[in-house]
Amino acid sequence: MCSCEEPRRGWGRCAPSPMLLLSLLLSAAPLGLRGEDARQVSLEVIPDPTGPPENLLHIRAVGSNSTLHYVWSSLGPPAVVLVATNTSHSTLSVNWSCLLSPEPAGGLVVHPEDSVQFSSALVFTRLFEFDSTNTSDEAAEPPGKPYPPYSLAEWSWNNVTDSLDPATLSTTFRGHPIHDPIGAFANGSLAFRVQAFSGSGRPAQPPRLLHTADTCQLEVALVGAVPRGNRSLFRLEVATLGQGPDCPSLREHHSIDDEYAPAVFQLDQLLWGSLPSGFMQWRPVAFSQKQGGRESSLPCQVSPLYPTLAYLPQSPIVRAFFGSQNNFCAFNLTFGTSAGPGYWDQHYLSWSMLLGVGFPPMDALSPLVLGIMAVALGAPGLVLLAGGLFLLLGPKRYSEYQPIN
Amino acid sequence: MEEEDEEARGLLANGPDETGRDTPAALAAPETLPALCDPSRLAHRLLVLLLMCFLGFGSYFCYDNPAALQTQVKRDMQVNTTKFMLLYAWYSWPNVVLCFFGGFLIDRVFGIRWGTIIFSCFICIGQVVFALGGIFNAYWLMEFGRFVFGIGGESLAVAQNTYAVSWFKGKELNLVFGLQLSMARVGSTVNMNLMGWLYSKVEALGSAGHTTLGITLMIGAITCILSLICALALAYLDQRAERILHKEQGKTGEVIKLTDVKDFSLPLWLIFIICVCYYVAVFPFIGLGKVFFTEKFGFSSQAAGAINSVVYVISAPMSPIFGLLVDKTGKNIIWVLCAVVTTLASHMLLAFTLWNPWIAMCLLGLSYSLLACALWPMVAFVVPEHQLGTAYGFMQSIQNLGLAISSIIAGMILDTRGYLFLEVFFIACVSLSLLAVVFLYLVNRAQGGNLNYSARQREEIKVSHSE
Repeated sequence: MCSCEEPRRGWGRCAPSPMLLLSLLLSAAPLGLRGEDARQVSLEVIPDPTGPPENLLHIRAVGSNSTLHYVWSSLGPPAVVLVATNTSHSTLSVNWSCLLSPEPAGGLVVHPEDSVQFSSALVFTRLFEFDSTNTSDEAAEPPGKPYPPYSLAEWSWNNVTDSLDPATLSTTFRGHPIHDPIGAFANGSLAFRVQAFSGSGRPAQPPRLLHTADTCQLEVALVGAVPRGNRSLFRLEVATLGQGPDCPSLREHHSIDDEYAPAVFQLDQLLWGSLPSGFMQWRPVAFSQKQGGRESSLPCQVSPLYPTLAYLPQSPIVRAFFGSQNNFCAFNLTFGTSAGPGYWDQHYLSWSMLLGVGFPPMDALSPLVLGIMAVALGAPGLVLLAGGLFLLLGPKRYSEYQPIN
Repeated sequence: MEEEDEEARGLLANGPDETGRDTPAALAAPETLPALCDPSRLAHRLLVLLLMCFLGFGSYFCYDNPAALQTQVKRDMQVNTTKFMLLYAWYSWPNVVLCFFGGFLIDRVFGIRWGTIIFSCFICIGQVVFALGGIFNAYWLMEFGRFVFGIGGESLAVAQNTYAVSWFKGKELNLVFGLQLSMARVGSTVNMNLMGWLYSKVEALGSAGHTTLGITLMIGAITCILSLICALALAYLDQRAERILHKEQGKTGEVIKLTDVKDFSLPLWLIFIICVCYYVAVFPFIGLGKVFFTEKFGFSSQAAGAINSVVYVISAPMSPIFGLLVDKTGKNIIWVLCAVVTTLASHMLLAFTLWNPWIAMCLLGLSYSLLACALWPMVAFVVPEHQLGTAYGFMQSIQNLGLAISSIIAGMILDTRGYLFLEVFFIACVSLSLLAVVFLYLVNRAQGGNLNYSARQREEIKVSHSE
C-alpha cells in the first residue's frame, strides 16, 4: 500500500483563452472545476488510532457533480493539499503508518483515483523577521537586517479538535516554536484559521474577500509575539507545487472597486494553470489591528515565484499525496514597510487568502453603488426631458424685462 | 466714524516704524525710484499690487497643508480619515457665520487696515497653533489651530478684495482681481508640491514623527508671516496714500440684512444649491486626492502632489480667459451646465476607469474655472443691488456649511466604504447640482428670466431701457 505512485499532475496545461470565451470554457471545463453554487461541507479531524493525536483536518465539500477535498495538517510545516474530483462520492483514505513513516508516499489517497481533476498543495515553510529601523527605502531587498528565520516545521501546534466549530465550519492551528531561547513566543502565537463555506458570501472582517462554495479561507495571524527588533517586518515563505517545469503564474488584477477593502485596488492571484483551475487569491493588504480598519492596513508585497529543487522542510502530507515530486516553487509575502504602520504598533498582524478551484470569485459593483448611479444620472436627464417637453408643448409666456436698478 | 478715526491715528503712530523695518524696499525707494513712492503713479500701484497678491499667499498656501501631508498627518497623529477631514471642517465652521460679518467688521469695526492686519494675525496664530499641535502630539490643538486659521482665512480674502477696489477701481480692477486669484492658486500649487518634499527633508534630521510634522508646518507658517508683513506694509502705504491723495479708506460697502433671505427668489435658491453641491464635490476631493492617486493609480508621492494641484494650476491662467468668454457670450446657464456636466464626467472617469487621471483632473480644472466665472455673476442678475451683499454672504456661508459637513461625511465614507463609494458620493453631489441647473434653466425659461440671455441681448435691453 505504501508504494510510490505516479505523481498526479491534475489539470493539464492548455493554451490561454480569451475571457470572452469564458462561458464556452466553463461548459467545456471538467465537472470538478465548474464550480457549484452550494456544497455540503463537513469538517473532520482524522484521528490516528494508534499514536498520539495529530492535526489532520479533512474538509470535504460535496456538490451535485463534484467534491472538493482540502486536507490541512501541521505534521511538519503547516500545509494543505487541495483535490478536486468530478464525482460527489469521492472519499479520502489515510494510511497513518505510511503517513508517519520516513517515506510517506501513498499515505493519502482520494478514491476513485480517476475522478481527480485537479490537485495541488501549499506549504507554509518559514517565518522571516527583519529589523527595518534603519531602512528608509521601502522597496529595499531585504527590507532590513534579517534575523534567523523561524522554521515552521519545528513548531508545536495545538489540537485543532478543540477549536473546531461546525457552525462556522472553521478551526484554528495555533503554534509556537519548540525551541524559543529568548521567549519571544512566551505570550504569543502564530495562528492559521481555516474556514470553509457552503455557499457564497463575504465576511464582515476586512479584507472581506468574496468567497464561494468552491473556496476555503485561510487567515494567518501573528499575535503577541515579542519582535526581535524595534521595527520588525515579517515575511511568510510559501511553497507550492509547480506545473511541470514551470511555476504557477502570479497575476495582479487591478480593479476600480475598493468598496469592500477601502483603498485597496488590487487583487492578487496565484493560478496553477489556465482557467478554470486551482487558484489562491488574496488582497495585497494586511492589518496591524484586530478591527482591521483602514488606518491599520499595511501593504503585503509578494515576491516572484522561484523554483526550489530541494526545499526544506518537507511536508509529510504533500509527499503522502504527491509522492516524491520535487518541482516545488516558492514565494514570499512581506507584510508592511519601514514607514509603518506595522506589527510593532499592537503586536498584531493578520492576513487572509482564499484557496479554491474553478474561476476565482470577482467583485462586482454593489447594488447600492449601481442604484445611486442610476438615480444620479437618470434624474437630471428625466427632468430635462420632461421640462423640455413641457416648454415645447405648453403655453409660451413672455415677460417684460425689468431692470434690476 | 469716531472709531475709525481712532484706528487711523493708531495706525499713524505705529505704522511707519513697523513697515519701515519690514520692507526695506519701500524705505530705499525714495532715493532711487520716486515714481515708486508716488501713490498716484502706476509704479507705486504695482508695488501695492505685489503686496496685495502676497497678502493672500499665506492663507492659500496653508489652507491645503493637510491635503499635501495627508499620509504624514494620519500616520504621525494616528488618526483615521474621518478625524483627518475634521481639519477641513474646523476651517469651514467659523466661516458659516463670519461670511455675514466679515464685511461688517471691516467697514464698521476695524477699518480695512486694522481689519487686514487682525485677520492676518489670526492666520499666523492659527497656523502656529496648528504646528504646535504637531510638536506636542495633541490633535485637538491642531484642530483648534485650524479653527483660528479659519477665522482669519475667508475674511482676509474679503479684505484683500476691498483693498483692490479701493486702489484700482476704474483702473486695472479686473486684471487685479484676476492676478490675485492666480496668486492664490499659485499658493495652493506650491503647497501641494513643496510640503511633502519639505517633510522628507525635516524627517532626515531624525526627530519623532509628530515633531517632524510640527516643524514642517511651522516652516509653512513663514508664508503666513510674509502675509502679515504685507498686511502691515499695505496698511502703511494705504494710510500714506490717504494723507497725500486725500483718498478715503476702502470699504466693502456690503450691507447684510438677514431678513432679506425671505425675499430670495427661486432661481437664487437654485443657484445656492448648484454652488453648494458643486464645491462639495471639488474641495473635499482635493483634500483627499493625494492618497487616492497613490493607491488607485500607483503614483509616487511627488507625482500625486503634482496631479492633485493641477486643478489650481489650470484655474490660474484659465479663470481670466473663461471670464472673458462668459462676458462676451452671456448664456450663463449654458456655461454652468457645461461646467457641471464636465465635472460629472471627470468624476466618473476617476471612479469607473483606470485611465490616466491627468485627463480627468484637467477636465476638472477646466470645469472648475468655468463654473466660477459663470455661476457667481448670475447672482447679480437675480438679486436687487441692495441685497447683493446679503446674497453673496449667504452663498459663501452655506458653501462653508456644505464643505464642513461634507468633509466629515467624505472622511467617514472613505474609512468604511473606500474611494469608489466616495467618488459615487461626489457624483451624486454633482448630479444634484446638475439637477438644480436643469431646474434653473426651466424656471428661467418659464418665468422669462434674464439669466440665459446672450451678451448681445443684454446689450440691447440695456440700450432700449436707456433710450
